[in-house]
Amino acid sequence: MVSEMSIEAHVTTFILYAIPVYILAFTLYIIRALKGPSISDIVLAIDALTYDLAAFLVILSILFRSPILIPTAIVLALWVYALDIYVAKYLEAKDMGE
Amino acid sequence: MVLDWVLVILGEILIAIGIFCDLVASIGMLRFPNFYVRLHACTVGTIGGAFVPLIGAALVAAGSEFLGTYRWFMAGGAVVTAILILILAPAGSHALARATHRAKVTPVYPKIADHLEEDEKLLEEG
Repeated sequence: MVSEMSIEAHVTTFILYAIPVYILAFTLYIIRALKGPSISDIVLAIDALTYDLAAFLVILSILFRSPILIPTAIVLALWVYALDIYVAKYLEAKDMGE
Repeated sequence: MVLDWVLVILGEILIAIGIFCDLVASIGMLRFPNFYVRLHACTVGTIGGAFVPLIGAALVAAGSEFLGTYRWFMAGGAVVTAILILILAPAGSHALARATHRAKVTPVYPKIADHLEEDEKLLEEG
């Protein structure tokens, strides 16, 4: 039978095993963001890091049983898109605009 | 009850695929030689490493009764974030790549054909 283990214990165990892999991936992204030779490399690493951080926050909200973490994920996804467009505009025109 | 188990197992499979893509993308981001090759790792990291596990997290949240009534809010928020990432990540990285090429921040080193550069030369010649 499948239901020897409750859903709660199953999900919690799975997420606890998932967290170290995420931390390792974040560490590698941060190394690239610190090393990046040009500003484009830094922004690209921050880009990938932040989208993955949004996914990680939703997974953490399941682990902590706290729905307050969901809006922060949406805001992170929108913020890093704004960063992309801002830096692209700066590189093309050497001017931040209004 | 059985439906909850199906949702949770499907969601966990999607989260596992997402974790694998995330790790592969971070290794690629560290090891690849220049910016234009790293764009490929960034795509693996955003669509495979963020969109797929967000859909998986939505399925897990929808199937987890221990979260209470708020599980529908969490599933809906996860789906909204996933769709936003699906639309915004390609647009953002495309804008960044185009600006990088135009401003000549890094040389296009392993180059076979560069149509954007040829077009700019044609425009300069008039």
